[in-house]
Amino acid sequence: MMYDDDVMEKIRAAQEKYEKELEKILSRTPGAGMDRSTFSGLTVKPLYSPKDVGQTDFLGDISFPGQYPYTRGVFPAGYLSRGLHIRQVTGFGTAEETNRRWKFLLSQGANALSVVPDDGSGNRADSDSEKVVGLVGKGGVALDTLVDFKTLFDGIDMAAYPVHIISTNAYALACYLAIAEERGIPFGELRGGMSNWVRPETECLDVIEYCAREVPLFNAGYLDMRNVREGGCTAVQEIAFGVATAMAGCDRLISRGLRIDDFLHRITWFVNSGPEFFEEVAKFRAVRRVWARIFRERYGAKNPLSLMCRMHCQTYAPTLTIQQPFNNLIRSTIYALAAIMGGVQSLHVNSFDEALAIPTEFSASLSVRTQQIIGLETDVTRAIDPLGGSYYVEWLTNKLEEEAVRLIDRIQGMGGAFKAWNWMCDEIRSAAMKNQQEYDSGERLLVGVNTLVDETDIQMEALKVLQRHAHFDAIHEYDPSYVDKQITRLNKVRKERDPEKLKQAVGTLTESMKSGQNMMPGLIEAVKAGMTRGEFARIKADIFKRPGEGPYVCSPPMVLA
Amino acid sequence: MEKVHRILLSRDDWYHQRGYWVIANALKDAGMEVVLGGIQTPMEIARTALNEDVDLIGYRIMQAAPDMVVRALFREMKANGIENIPVVVGGIISDREEKIIRELGVKAVFRSFDRLEAIRKQVRAIADLEPS
Repeated sequence: MMYDDDVMEKIRAAQEKYEKELEKILSRTPGAGMDRSTFSGLTVKPLYSPKDVGQTDFLGDISFPGQYPYTRGVFPAGYLSRGLHIRQVTGFGTAEETNRRWKFLLSQGANALSVVPDDGSGNRADSDSEKVVGLVGKGGVALDTLVDFKTLFDGIDMAAYPVHIISTNAYALACYLAIAEERGIPFGELRGGMSNWVRPETECLDVIEYCAREVPLFNAGYLDMRNVREGGCTAVQEIAFGVATAMAGCDRLISRGLRIDDFLHRITWFVNSGPEFFEEVAKFRAVRRVWARIFRERYGAKNPLSLMCRMHCQTYAPTLTIQQPFNNLIRSTIYALAAIMGGVQSLHVNSFDEALAIPTEFSASLSVRTQQIIGLETDVTRAIDPLGGSYYVEWLTNKLEEEAVRLIDRIQGMGGAFKAWNWMCDEIRSAAMKNQQEYDSGERLLVGVNTLVDETDIQMEALKVLQRHAHFDAIHEYDPSYVDKQITRLNKVRKERDPEKLKQAVGTLTESMKSGQNMMPGLIEAVKAGMTRGEFARIKADIFKRPGEGPYVCSPPMVLA
Repeated sequence: MEKVHRILLSRDDWYHQRGYWVIANALKDAGMEVVLGGIQTPMEIARTALNEDVDLIGYRIMQAAPDMVVRALFREMKANGIENIPVVVGGIISDREEKIIRELGVKAVFRSFDRLEAIRKQVRAIADLEPS
């Protein structure tokens, strides 16, 4: 966006005149002197002009879609050749209920699938254990055995729909692969991915290493920055912590003897999209640019695919309110619009009832429709990177990149992300606290909560009327009978499996884990022999003595005083 | 001098910890001692409450069925002889679930966008009521 010196001089003179007038108007406008900083702490001016992006080099910094540094998108034709993946998180009850919901979402026009198991960290005892009381099929679907996974995938064409498994558990991948094998689908044709957080654990690295060799289209590594953002961090931190975490993971994988171009293209991003619309659009652009530059310049990645940062986005949830719940439809639509203008590959739009419960068919279908309306009825996807070239958005993109790279260098100075874990945790929590205090004080507004509060919440009343009188579920309720149903399914597997075969398979698996070989081949055989998720969790606990609860979490118990 | 309350904060599962940490810091900033239990089963919560001699248990419930885990918690507390320690709950709790867990003995239920100042006050008042 370079300008000739004389053109720039003319712009500068005209702008000076304009700014004087602007200042006069603002000085007599009450409220115009409000805080102009974004949640990431960038101070936003009332207007942007060529002056703010005069140093930006079009070919070097912005360029064309599908070309380095991929600021405008990773594919040359954007959504024109590769439509958005409409991918709603699904998972509750037993595999039967979730399979039914998947089919419902596909019937509504979703074109990608995602499943969340009920096992949180991925290391959960079996569903009949006292340790999982209250959790079975509640926040996700109960998947104890390969048989449950088979039920989940019943009637689902695995080759046609990319499935994302929201789990760090290699057990889930093993089941997925065992089903593909049974159906005669070559591993090389499997797309989709799993939420295998890049972390310094054998399980994580084994999955990435195995898939790089055997399941080449499967996105095996994952940067779950979306949930870190939910934890309270800023857009700058979302970029920086994600890239730094990927760098730390790459260092580990390279030390295993892999080359960067063997696996980097299968580490994908999970990103957020929140209330600060323009900062978010700029963030998606900045993530792509930072990713491409760091891995080309610092890691020598050469495969263009390695440098093409691909993202699944889920809209921001901390601003979803119980009060006036239908307002959440509008919030999530705006967040979705930012994600699509930012060029994400795949999207989950939060349902309006997610502050109350997990979504119903009714609310999940509205999330699908939101994406369809943006894609089919508006002109948002007609031109690629539609906000590229906006002085404001380009300035924001530059600024986010600059701040993120500074933060990445700081983390590298601490010895990399895995060593800086606790520091990152503290940063995220401080940002969350600041955000909460801003809402408490009314400095940051939230409709229905700290402004425009209704004495009688007719939206909530309407929802309750629906719940009482509709022939469908208007608010999801947990059905405790899932527990007995699941335990019956689990016991059937335990009774029918061949104990000798199981013992042998578990023995081989355990041996491979102890000797530092990749666990995946043995794990696939063990799930086929009927090993349960809880049994695998126990083996992992025995061999790896897995500390803590996962990334960005501190181990209990500790005292905060 | 005002008594320094010792509060145990535990949670049911792994995902979505923002509220948990915000509350932990808010109580700490208000001068309370916060014992971070992290992810715990009801049995582990009761044991930690006993060992750490806390004045109040704050239980974040987001993934679990509130009535089931609260019932299990009270059973474990009773088995450990600490049923007099007050329990408050925060998280995603429906009106119906709130009614059930209050009947079981939960003293307060907090949800997103309850103001921190109000939460602090209520926690302090509930902890004050209990002889320990």
